[in-house]
Amino acid sequence: METWKSHVRAGLQQRDHREKLPFVGVFTSLSQLEEMFEIRKQILEDQSKSLDRGGVEVGKNTRLLQLQLRESEHLEEKLSQTVSDLTSVLYLKEAELQYWQSRVSQYRQEALSLAKGSNTLKATLSEIEFTAESQSKELAALRIENKRLHEALTQVWTEKERLVQRWMEEKKEEADRLNKYNDTQERWQHLAKQLKKHFQREMVKECVPIVTSSMSTTETPPSVIQGINNTTDVHQRHSKPSLEPT
Amino acid sequence: MADDKDVLRDVWFGRIPTCFTLNQDEVTEREAEPYYLLLPRVSYLTLVTDKVKKHFLKVMRSEDVEEMWFEYEGTPLKWHYPIGVLFDLHASNTVLPWNITVHFKSFPDQDLLHCPSNSIIEAHFMSSIKEADALKHKSQVVNDMQKKDHKQLWMGLQNDKFDQFWAMNRKLMEYPTEEGGFRYIPFRIYQTMSDRPFIQKLFRPVSPEGNTLTLGDLLKEMYPTAITNDGEQKRYQVVIHGIEPLLETPLQWLSEHLSHPDNFLHICVIPTPTD
Repeated sequence: METWKSHVRAGLQQRDHREKLPFVGVFTSLSQLEEMFEIRKQILEDQSKSLDRGGVEVGKNTRLLQLQLRESEHLEEKLSQTVSDLTSVLYLKEAELQYWQSRVSQYRQEALSLAKGSNTLKATLSEIEFTAESQSKELAALRIENKRLHEALTQVWTEKERLVQRWMEEKKEEADRLNKYNDTQERWQHLAKQLKKHFQREMVKECVPIVTSSMSTTETPPSVIQGINNTTDVHQRHSKPSLEPT
Repeated sequence: MADDKDVLRDVWFGRIPTCFTLNQDEVTEREAEPYYLLLPRVSYLTLVTDKVKKHFLKVMRSEDVEEMWFEYEGTPLKWHYPIGVLFDLHASNTVLPWNITVHFKSFPDQDLLHCPSNSIIEAHFMSSIKEADALKHKSQVVNDMQKKDHKQLWMGLQNDKFDQFWAMNRKLMEYPTEEGGFRYIPFRIYQTMSDRPFIQKLFRPVSPEGNTLTLGDLLKEMYPTAITNDGEQKRYQVVIHGIEPLLETPLQWLSEHLSHPDNFLHICVIPTPTD
Protein backbone atom coordinates (compact mmCIF):
# COMPACT_ATOMS: atom_id res chain seq x y z
CA MET A 1 0.00 0.00 0.00
CA GLU A 2 1.22 3.50 -0.79
CA THR A 3 2.72 5.43 2.14
CA TRP A 4 0.18 8.22 1.92
CA LYS A 5 -2.69 5.76 2.01
CA SER A 6 -1.42 3.83 5.00
CA HIS A 7 -0.75 7.18 6.68
CA VAL A 8 -4.41 8.17 6.21
CA ARG A 9 -5.64 4.80 7.51
CA ALA A 10 -3.35 4.94 10.54
CA GLY A 11 -4.37 8.54 11.16
CA LEU A 12 -8.08 7.68 11.13
CA GLN A 13 -7.51 4.79 13.52
CA GLN A 14 -5.47 6.97 15.89
CA ARG A 15 -8.18 9.60 15.74
CA ASP A 16 -10.84 7.06 16.72
CA HIS A 17 -8.60 5.76 19.54
CA ARG A 18 -8.39 9.32 20.81
CA GLU A 19 -11.89 10.65 20.17
CA LYS A 20 -14.30 7.76 19.85
CA LEU A 21 -13.28 4.50 21.51
CA PRO A 22 -12.65 5.82 25.06
CA PHE A 23 -16.09 7.46 25.09
CA VAL A 24 -18.35 5.19 23.07
CA GLY A 25 -19.00 2.68 25.88
CA VAL A 26 -19.87 5.22 28.54
CA PHE A 27 -21.93 7.37 26.18
CA THR A 28 -23.95 4.36 24.98
CA SER A 29 -24.58 3.16 28.55
CA LEU A 30 -25.64 6.66 29.52
CA SER A 31 -28.04 6.83 26.62
CA GLN A 32 -29.56 3.43 27.50
CA LEU A 33 -29.92 4.44 31.14
CA GLU A 34 -31.64 7.63 30.09
CA GLU A 35 -34.11 5.65 28.00
CA MET A 36 -34.87 3.31 30.92
CA PHE A 37 -35.22 6.26 33.20
CA GLU A 38 -37.72 7.84 30.85
CA ILE A 39 -39.79 4.64 30.73
CA ARG A 40 -39.86 4.27 34.50
CA LYS A 41 -40.68 7.88 34.94
CA GLN A 42 -43.57 7.50 32.53
CA ILE A 43 -44.90 4.46 34.45
CA LEU A 44 -44.67 6.28 37.74
CA GLU A 45 -46.56 9.20 36.29
CA ASP A 46 -49.26 6.89 34.91
CA GLN A 47 -49.63 5.10 38.25
CA SER A 48 -49.82 8.25 40.27
CA LYS A 49 -52.53 9.46 37.89
CA SER A 50 -54.56 6.24 38.35
CA LEU A 51 -54.16 6.51 42.13
CA ASP A 52 -55.36 10.10 42.02
CA ARG A 53 -58.44 8.97 40.14
CA GLY A 54 -59.16 6.52 43.02
CA GLY A 55 -58.53 3.43 40.98
CA VAL A 56 -57.65 -0.04 42.24
CA GLU A 57 -54.36 -0.17 44.09
CA VAL A 58 -51.97 -2.53 42.46
CA GLY A 59 -49.56 -4.74 44.26
CA LYS A 60 -45.82 -4.56 44.12
CA ASN A 61 -45.59 -7.58 41.78
CA THR A 62 -47.98 -6.05 39.29
CA ARG A 63 -45.88 -2.88 39.30
CA LEU A 64 -42.76 -4.85 38.58
CA LEU A 65 -44.48 -6.81 35.82
CA GLN A 66 -45.73 -3.63 34.26
CA LEU A 67 -42.23 -2.23 34.31
CA GLN A 68 -40.82 -5.34 32.70
CA LEU A 69 -43.58 -5.25 30.11
CA ARG A 70 -42.76 -1.67 29.19
CA GLU A 71 -39.09 -2.41 28.97
CA SER A 72 -39.80 -5.45 26.81
CA GLU A 73 -42.01 -3.36 24.59
CA HIS A 74 -39.26 -0.80 24.27
CA LEU A 75 -36.77 -3.53 23.49
CA GLU A 76 -39.13 -5.03 20.97
CA GLU A 77 -39.48 -1.67 19.28
CA LYS A 78 -35.74 -1.40 19.06
CA LEU A 79 -35.38 -4.93 17.76
CA SER A 80 -38.07 -4.45 15.15
CA GLN A 81 -36.24 -1.28 14.10
CA THR A 82 -33.03 -3.29 13.83
CA VAL A 83 -34.81 -5.95 11.75
CA SER A 84 -36.21 -3.27 9.48
CA ASP A 85 -32.75 -1.70 9.15
CA LEU A 86 -31.19 -5.05 8.38
CA THR A 87 -33.86 -5.78 5.78
CA SER A 88 -33.23 -2.49 4.02
CA VAL A 89 -29.48 -3.18 4.19
CA LEU A 90 -30.15 -6.57 2.65
CA TYR A 91 -32.09 -4.96 -0.20
CA LEU A 92 -29.29 -2.48 -0.67
CA LYS A 93 -26.71 -5.22 -0.70
CA GLU A 94 -28.73 -7.13 -3.27
CA ALA A 95 -28.93 -4.01 -5.43
CA GLU A 96 -25.21 -3.50 -4.94
CA LEU A 97 -24.56 -7.12 -5.87
CA GLN A 98 -26.54 -6.66 -9.07
CA TYR A 99 -24.63 -3.51 -9.82
CA TRP A 100 -21.31 -5.26 -9.33
CA GLN A 101 -22.49 -8.22 -11.41
CA SER A 102 -23.37 -5.87 -14.24
CA ARG A 103 -19.95 -4.25 -13.85
CA VAL A 104 -18.29 -7.70 -13.95
CA SER A 105 -20.21 -8.57 -17.11
CA GLN A 106 -19.22 -5.21 -18.62
CA TYR A 107 -15.59 -5.82 -17.75
CA ARG A 108 -15.81 -9.35 -19.16
CA GLN A 109 -17.06 -7.90 -22.45
CA GLU A 110 -14.26 -5.37 -22.40
CA ALA A 111 -11.74 -8.13 -21.66
CA LEU A 112 -13.07 -10.19 -24.56
CA SER A 113 -12.83 -7.32 -27.03
CA LEU A 114 -9.36 -6.51 -25.69
CA ALA A 115 -8.33 -10.16 -26.14
CA LYS A 116 -9.60 -10.05 -29.75
CA GLY A 117 -7.68 -6.85 -30.31
CA SER A 118 -4.63 -8.46 -28.76
CA ASN A 119 -4.91 -11.48 -31.11
CA THR A 120 -5.20 -9.21 -34.14
CA LEU A 121 -2.19 -7.26 -32.97
CA LYS A 122 -0.26 -10.49 -32.42
CA ALA A 123 -1.06 -11.62 -35.99
CA THR A 124 0.01 -8.25 -37.37
CA LEU A 125 3.15 -8.43 -35.28
CA SER A 126 4.05 -11.86 -36.63
CA GLU A 127 3.46 -10.63 -40.21
CA ILE A 128 5.65 -7.64 -39.55
CA GLU A 129 8.29 -9.90 -38.03
CA PHE A 130 8.23 -12.13 -41.13
CA THR A 131 8.57 -9.08 -43.42
CA ALA A 132 11.35 -7.73 -41.25
CA GLU A 133 13.18 -11.09 -41.45
CA SER A 134 12.93 -11.31 -45.27
CA GLN A 135 13.98 -7.69 -45.57
CA SER A 136 16.91 -8.30 -43.28
CA LYS A 137 17.97 -11.27 -45.50
CA GLU A 138 17.62 -9.07 -48.59
CA LEU A 139 19.66 -6.43 -46.88
CA ALA A 140 22.42 -8.93 -46.09
CA ALA A 141 22.51 -10.08 -49.75
CA LEU A 142 22.59 -6.49 -50.94
CA ARG A 143 25.41 -5.76 -48.53
CA ILE A 144 27.45 -8.65 -49.93
CA GLU A 145 26.75 -7.46 -53.50
CA ASN A 146 27.66 -3.94 -52.48
CA LYS A 147 30.91 -5.19 -50.97
CA ARG A 148 31.76 -7.10 -54.15
CA LEU A 149 31.02 -4.08 -56.32
CA HIS A 150 33.02 -1.91 -54.01
CA GLU A 151 36.02 -4.23 -54.38
CA ALA A 152 35.63 -4.22 -58.19
CA LEU A 153 35.41 -0.46 -58.14
CA THR A 154 38.59 -0.26 -56.10
CA GLN A 155 40.32 -2.52 -58.58
CA VAL A 156 39.12 -0.43 -61.54
CA TRP A 157 40.26 2.72 -59.77
CA THR A 158 43.69 1.24 -59.25
CA GLU A 159 43.81 0.22 -62.92
CA LYS A 160 42.72 3.69 -63.98
CA GLU A 161 45.34 5.31 -61.76
CA ARG A 162 47.98 3.08 -63.28
CA LEU A 163 46.86 3.93 -66.83
CA VAL A 164 46.74 7.65 -66.05
CA GLN A 165 50.24 7.36 -64.66
CA ARG A 166 51.39 5.62 -67.79
CA TRP A 167 49.68 8.18 -70.00
CA MET A 168 51.30 11.01 -68.06
CA GLU A 169 54.70 9.41 -68.52
CA GLU A 170 53.99 8.98 -72.20
CA LYS A 171 52.98 12.61 -72.49
CA LYS A 172 56.04 13.67 -70.61
CA GLU A 173 58.24 11.73 -73.01
CA GLU A 174 56.36 13.21 -75.98
CA ALA A 175 56.85 16.69 -74.60
CA ASP A 176 60.56 15.99 -74.13
CA ARG A 177 60.81 14.76 -77.68
CA LEU A 178 59.05 17.80 -79.02
CA ASN A 179 61.16 20.13 -76.93
CA LYS A 180 64.29 18.45 -78.26
CA TYR A 181 63.00 18.84 -81.81
CA ASN A 182 62.15 22.48 -81.16
CA ASP A 183 65.62 23.07 -79.76
CA THR A 184 67.11 21.53 -82.92
CA GLN A 185 64.87 23.67 -85.08
CA GLU A 186 65.79 26.76 -83.15
CA ARG A 187 69.42 26.01 -83.41
CA TRP A 188 69.02 25.29 -87.13
CA GLN A 189 67.15 28.58 -87.68
CA HIS A 190 69.78 30.44 -85.73
CA LEU A 191 72.50 28.91 -87.86
CA ALA A 192 70.51 29.61 -91.04
CA LYS A 193 70.09 33.19 -89.98
CA GLN A 194 73.80 33.54 -89.28
CA LEU A 195 74.58 31.85 -92.55
CA LYS A 196 72.23 34.19 -94.35
CA LYS A 197 73.82 37.22 -92.74
CA HIS A 198 77.24 35.92 -93.54
CA PHE A 199 76.24 35.21 -97.07
CA GLN A 200 74.73 38.67 -97.48
CA ARG A 201 77.89 40.23 -96.10
CA GLU A 202 79.96 38.17 -98.56
CA MET A 203 77.67 39.19 -101.33
CA VAL A 204 77.97 42.85 -100.45
CA LYS A 205 81.76 42.58 -100.41
CA GLU A 206 81.79 40.93 -103.78
CA CYS A 207 79.25 43.27 -105.33
CA VAL A 208 80.86 46.67 -104.57
CA PRO A 209 83.60 46.53 -107.24
CA ILE A 210 81.20 45.02 -109.69
CA VAL A 211 78.67 47.78 -109.17
CA THR A 212 81.23 50.38 -109.82
CA SER A 213 82.31 48.62 -113.10
CA SER A 214 79.11 47.20 -114.34
CA MET A 215 75.76 47.04 -112.48
CA SER A 216 74.35 44.14 -114.50
CA THR A 217 77.23 41.57 -113.91
CA THR A 218 77.37 41.88 -110.02
CA GLU A 219 73.67 41.38 -109.25
CA THR A 220 72.88 38.20 -107.24
CA PRO A 221 70.29 36.19 -108.96
CA PRO A 222 67.02 36.71 -106.89
CA SER A 223 66.14 33.04 -106.98
CA VAL A 224 69.03 32.08 -104.59
CA ILE A 225 68.10 34.59 -101.84
CA GLN A 226 64.46 33.77 -102.23
CA GLY A 227 65.32 30.08 -101.85
CA ILE A 228 67.10 30.66 -98.54
CA ASN A 229 64.21 32.81 -97.26
CA ASN A 230 61.70 30.24 -98.37
CA THR A 231 63.59 27.47 -96.54
CA THR A 232 63.57 29.53 -93.30
CA ASP A 233 59.81 30.12 -93.66
CA VAL A 234 59.17 26.44 -94.13
CA HIS A 235 61.17 25.61 -90.94
CA GLN A 236 59.36 28.29 -89.00
CA ARG A 237 55.95 27.02 -90.14
CA HIS A 238 56.85 23.48 -89.03
CA SER A 239 58.41 24.35 -85.68
CA LYS A 240 55.95 26.96 -84.35
CA PRO A 241 52.86 24.78 -83.62
CA SER A 242 54.92 21.93 -82.17
CA LEU A 243 56.37 24.20 -79.47
CA GLU A 244 53.02 24.77 -77.93
CA PRO A 245 52.35 22.38 -75.04
CA THR A 246 49.83 19.72 -75.68
CA MET B 1 -10.50 -1.98 -2.89
CA ALA B 2 -11.28 -3.35 0.58
CA ASP B 3 -8.80 -1.04 2.28
CA ASP B 4 -10.34 1.98 0.61
CA LYS B 5 -13.82 0.95 1.73
CA ASP B 6 -12.50 0.78 5.29
CA VAL B 7 -11.39 4.38 4.89
CA LEU B 8 -14.93 5.33 3.82
CA ARG B 9 -16.32 3.55 6.88
CA ASP B 10 -13.82 5.18 9.25
CA VAL B 11 -14.72 8.57 7.80
CA TRP B 12 -18.47 7.94 8.08
CA PHE B 13 -18.37 6.56 11.61
CA GLY B 14 -16.09 9.23 13.05
CA ARG B 15 -17.56 10.50 16.33
CA ILE B 16 -16.85 13.41 18.65
CA PRO B 17 -17.81 13.07 22.32
CA THR B 18 -19.64 16.24 23.25
CA CYS B 19 -21.01 17.76 26.41
CA PHE B 20 -23.85 20.23 25.87
CA THR B 21 -24.35 22.76 28.63
CA LEU B 22 -27.16 25.28 28.83
CA ASN B 23 -26.03 28.88 28.75
CA GLN B 24 -26.05 30.35 32.26
CA ASP B 25 -28.05 33.38 31.16
CA GLU B 26 -31.02 31.23 30.16
CA VAL B 27 -33.96 31.39 32.57
CA THR B 28 -34.80 27.91 33.92
CA GLU B 29 -37.24 26.42 36.41
CA ARG B 30 -34.53 24.23 37.88
CA GLU B 31 -30.86 23.63 37.24
CA ALA B 32 -30.19 22.00 33.85
CA GLU B 33 -27.98 18.93 33.78
CA PRO B 34 -25.44 18.78 30.95
CA TYR B 35 -26.26 16.45 28.10
CA TYR B 36 -23.69 14.05 26.64
CA LEU B 37 -23.82 12.92 23.04
CA LEU B 38 -21.48 11.30 20.48
CA LEU B 39 -21.78 13.55 17.45
CA PRO B 40 -21.19 12.13 13.96
CA ARG B 41 -18.39 14.09 12.30
CA VAL B 42 -20.08 14.04 8.90
CA SER B 43 -23.50 15.29 10.04
CA TYR B 44 -24.86 18.73 10.93
CA LEU B 45 -25.39 20.08 14.43
CA THR B 46 -29.07 20.86 14.06
CA LEU B 47 -29.74 17.45 12.54
CA VAL B 48 -28.48 15.42 15.49
CA THR B 49 -29.44 17.55 18.46
CA ASP B 50 -33.15 16.82 18.80
CA LYS B 51 -32.47 14.99 22.05
CA VAL B 52 -30.39 17.90 23.31
CA LYS B 53 -33.26 20.28 22.64
CA LYS B 54 -35.75 17.96 24.31
CA HIS B 55 -33.46 17.58 27.32
CA PHE B 56 -33.09 21.30 27.94
CA LEU B 57 -36.71 22.18 27.16
CA LYS B 58 -37.72 20.15 30.21
CA VAL B 59 -36.25 22.76 32.52
CA MET B 60 -37.34 25.82 30.57
CA ARG B 61 -40.54 27.75 30.36
CA SER B 62 -41.99 27.70 26.87
CA GLU B 63 -42.21 31.51 26.73
CA ASP B 64 -38.40 31.77 27.18
CA VAL B 65 -37.65 29.46 24.28
CA GLU B 66 -36.61 30.80 20.91
CA GLU B 67 -34.54 29.15 18.19
CA MET B 68 -31.77 26.94 19.56
CA TRP B 69 -28.18 27.72 18.61
CA PHE B 70 -24.74 26.60 19.73
CA GLU B 71 -21.57 28.31 20.74
CA TYR B 72 -18.03 27.22 21.61
CA GLU B 73 -15.85 29.55 23.68
CA GLY B 74 -17.66 32.62 22.38
CA THR B 75 -17.78 31.52 18.73
CA PRO B 76 -21.27 30.81 17.35
CA LEU B 77 -21.15 27.42 15.58
CA LYS B 78 -22.41 27.46 11.99
CA TRP B 79 -24.84 24.56 11.64
CA HIS B 80 -24.36 24.47 7.86
CA TYR B 81 -20.72 23.37 8.28
CA PRO B 82 -20.20 19.67 8.99
CA ILE B 83 -19.67 18.94 12.70
CA GLY B 84 -16.17 17.54 12.10
CA VAL B 85 -15.14 20.75 10.35
CA LEU B 86 -16.42 22.85 13.28
CA PHE B 87 -14.49 20.69 15.73
CA ASP B 88 -11.24 20.63 13.72
CA LEU B 89 -11.44 24.37 13.13
CA HIS B 90 -12.25 25.54 16.65
CA ALA B 91 -11.48 22.78 19.13
CA SER B 92 -9.19 20.16 17.64
CA ASN B 93 -6.46 20.54 20.24
CA THR B 94 -8.67 20.83 23.34
CA VAL B 95 -9.54 18.33 26.04
CA LEU B 96 -12.43 15.97 25.28
CA PRO B 97 -15.39 15.92 25.56
CA TRP B 98 -16.05 18.99 23.48
CA ASN B 99 -17.94 21.53 25.56
CA ILE B 100 -20.67 23.24 23.59
CA THR B 101 -22.93 25.87 25.09
CA VAL B 102 -26.62 25.79 24.14
CA HIS B 103 -28.58 29.00 23.72
CA PHE B 104 -32.30 29.60 23.32
CA LYS B 105 -32.29 33.36 22.95
CA SER B 106 -30.29 36.23 21.39
CA PHE B 107 -29.84 34.41 18.08
CA PRO B 108 -26.74 35.88 16.32
CA ASP B 109 -28.30 36.72 12.94
CA GLN B 110 -25.01 38.24 11.76
CA ASP B 111 -23.12 34.97 12.16
CA LEU B 112 -25.60 32.14 11.72
CA LEU B 113 -28.27 31.01 9.29
CA HIS B 114 -31.68 30.22 10.74
CA CYS B 115 -32.64 26.58 10.77
CA PRO B 116 -36.32 26.22 11.67
CA SER B 117 -36.63 22.64 10.38
CA ASN B 118 -34.75 19.69 8.92
CA SER B 119 -35.99 20.58 5.43
CA ILE B 120 -33.63 23.57 5.52
CA ILE B 121 -30.71 21.26 6.26
CA GLU B 122 -31.87 18.94 3.48
CA ALA B 123 -32.03 21.86 1.02
CA HIS B 124 -28.53 22.98 2.02
CA PHE B 125 -27.16 19.44 1.79
CA MET B 126 -28.67 18.76 -1.63
CA SER B 127 -27.52 22.14 -2.89
CA SER B 128 -23.94 21.29 -1.86
CA ILE B 129 -24.15 17.88 -3.57
CA LYS B 130 -25.40 19.54 -6.78
CA GLU B 131 -22.66 22.17 -6.65
CA ALA B 132 -20.03 19.47 -6.16
CA ASP B 133 -21.39 17.43 -9.07
CA ALA B 134 -21.41 20.52 -11.28
CA LEU B 135 -17.66 20.76 -10.61
CA LYS B 136 -17.01 17.03 -10.97
CA HIS B 137 -19.27 15.98 -13.86
CA LYS B 138 -20.96 19.16 -15.17
CA SER B 139 -24.04 18.08 -13.13
CA GLN B 140 -24.56 15.07 -15.38
CA VAL B 141 -24.71 12.46 -12.61
CA VAL B 142 -26.96 14.33 -10.20
CA ASN B 143 -29.31 15.33 -13.03
CA ASP B 144 -29.59 11.72 -14.17
CA MET B 145 -30.69 10.70 -10.66
CA GLN B 146 -34.34 10.43 -9.77
CA LYS B 147 -36.05 12.22 -6.91
CA LYS B 148 -36.00 9.02 -4.85
CA ASP B 149 -32.23 8.75 -5.37
CA HIS B 150 -31.80 12.26 -3.97
CA LYS B 151 -34.03 11.23 -1.08
CA GLN B 152 -31.90 8.14 -0.51
CA LEU B 153 -28.79 10.29 -0.15
CA TRP B 154 -30.52 12.56 2.33
CA MET B 155 -32.14 9.74 4.32
CA GLY B 156 -28.81 7.95 4.46
CA LEU B 157 -27.27 10.98 6.13
CA GLN B 158 -30.25 11.74 8.31
CA ASN B 159 -30.54 8.21 9.66
CA ASP B 160 -26.79 7.57 9.71
CA LYS B 161 -27.07 4.68 7.24
CA PHE B 162 -23.70 4.17 5.60
CA ASP B 163 -24.82 1.51 3.09
CA GLN B 164 -27.95 3.39 2.07
CA PHE B 165 -25.96 6.55 1.45
CA TRP B 166 -23.02 4.94 -0.35
CA ALA B 167 -25.24 2.82 -2.60
CA MET B 168 -26.15 6.10 -4.27
CA ASN B 169 -23.12 8.26 -3.53
CA ARG B 170 -20.93 5.73 -5.38
CA LYS B 171 -22.37 7.07 -8.64
CA LEU B 172 -21.24 10.58 -7.74
CA MET B 173 -17.69 9.29 -7.26
CA GLU B 174 -17.29 7.66 -10.66
CA TYR B 175 -15.27 9.20 -13.49
CA PRO B 176 -14.02 8.16 -16.94
CA THR B 177 -10.80 6.16 -16.56
CA GLU B 178 -9.12 7.91 -19.49
CA GLU B 179 -9.56 11.31 -17.82
CA GLY B 180 -7.82 10.18 -14.64
CA GLY B 181 -10.24 11.94 -12.30
CA PHE B 182 -13.01 14.47 -11.88
CA ARG B 183 -13.22 17.61 -14.00
CA TYR B 184 -12.53 19.79 -10.97
CA ILE B 185 -12.08 18.85 -7.31
CA PRO B 186 -14.83 20.23 -5.07
CA PHE B 187 -12.91 21.54 -2.06
CA ARG B 188 -13.10 24.24 0.58
CA ILE B 189 -10.18 25.46 2.66
CA TYR B 190 -11.16 26.86 6.06
CA GLN B 191 -8.96 29.02 8.22
CA THR B 192 -9.49 30.51 11.66
CA MET B 193 -7.13 33.41 11.09
CA SER B 194 -9.15 35.13 8.39
CA ASP B 195 -12.52 36.81 7.99
CA ARG B 196 -13.00 34.96 4.71
CA PRO B 197 -15.31 32.01 5.36
CA PHE B 198 -13.33 29.67 3.12
CA ILE B 199 -11.27 29.40 -0.08
CA GLN B 200 -12.96 27.70 -3.02
CA LYS B 201 -11.56 27.83 -6.56
CA LEU B 202 -11.34 25.63 -9.63
CA PHE B 203 -8.59 23.02 -9.40
CA ARG B 204 -8.08 19.94 -11.54
CA PRO B 205 -6.82 16.61 -10.15
CA VAL B 206 -4.44 16.11 -13.11
CA SER B 207 -1.98 18.64 -14.56
CA PRO B 208 -2.06 19.53 -18.31
CA GLU B 209 1.04 17.31 -18.68
CA GLY B 210 -0.91 14.38 -17.25
CA ASN B 211 0.69 14.31 -13.80
CA THR B 212 -1.41 13.46 -10.75
CA LEU B 213 -1.77 16.52 -8.52
CA THR B 214 -1.52 16.22 -4.76
CA LEU B 215 -2.74 17.95 -1.62
CA GLY B 216 0.62 19.77 -1.56
CA ASP B 217 0.07 21.08 -5.10
CA LEU B 218 -3.37 22.39 -4.11
CA LEU B 219 -2.07 24.15 -1.00
CA LYS B 220 0.92 25.55 -2.91
CA GLU B 221 -1.51 27.29 -5.23
CA MET B 222 -4.34 28.18 -2.85
CA TYR B 223 -2.65 28.69 0.50
CA PRO B 224 1.18 28.61 0.22
CA THR B 225 1.78 29.75 3.81
CA ALA B 226 0.17 26.52 5.05
CA ILE B 227 3.15 24.56 3.71
CA THR B 228 6.24 24.20 5.87
CA ASN B 229 9.48 24.69 3.93
CA ASP B 230 12.68 22.77 4.67
CA GLY B 231 14.33 23.91 7.89
CA GLU B 232 11.31 25.97 8.84
CA GLN B 233 9.29 25.41 11.98
CA LYS B 234 5.81 24.04 11.32
CA ARG B 235 3.31 26.84 11.72
CA TYR B 236 0.09 25.30 10.45
CA GLN B 237 -1.67 21.96 10.56
CA VAL B 238 -3.64 20.85 7.51
CA VAL B 239 -6.48 18.79 8.92
CA ILE B 240 -9.14 16.70 7.15
CA HIS B 241 -11.51 14.58 9.27
CA GLY B 242 -9.30 15.07 12.31
CA ILE B 243 -6.12 13.78 10.66
CA GLU B 244 -3.17 15.34 8.85
CA PRO B 245 -2.79 13.58 5.47
CA LEU B 246 0.66 13.62 3.84
CA LEU B 247 1.07 16.41 1.29
CA GLU B 248 1.90 13.85 -1.42
CA THR B 249 -1.56 12.29 -1.13
CA PRO B 250 -3.26 12.46 -4.56
CA LEU B 251 -6.11 14.95 -4.55
CA GLN B 252 -8.37 12.69 -6.60
CA TRP B 253 -8.09 9.90 -4.00
CA LEU B 254 -8.71 12.39 -1.20
CA SER B 255 -11.80 13.68 -2.99
CA GLU B 256 -13.15 10.16 -3.45
CA HIS B 257 -12.46 8.94 0.05
CA LEU B 258 -12.19 11.88 2.44
CA SER B 259 -14.99 14.06 1.10
CA HIS B 260 -17.96 14.73 3.36
CA PRO B 261 -21.41 13.45 2.35
CA ASP B 262 -21.99 16.79 0.64
CA ASN B 263 -19.19 15.66 -1.74
CA PHE B 264 -16.87 18.53 -0.80
CA LEU B 265 -13.39 18.00 0.54
CA HIS B 266 -13.33 20.23 3.64
CA ILE B 267 -9.75 21.17 4.55
CA CYS B 268 -8.99 23.01 7.80
CA VAL B 269 -5.79 25.01 8.18
CA ILE B 270 -5.19 25.69 11.87
CA PRO B 271 -2.18 27.08 13.75
CA THR B 272 0.09 24.43 15.26
CA PRO B 273 -0.43 24.28 19.05
CA THR B 274 2.46 25.87 20.90
CA ASP B 275 2.52 23.55 23.97
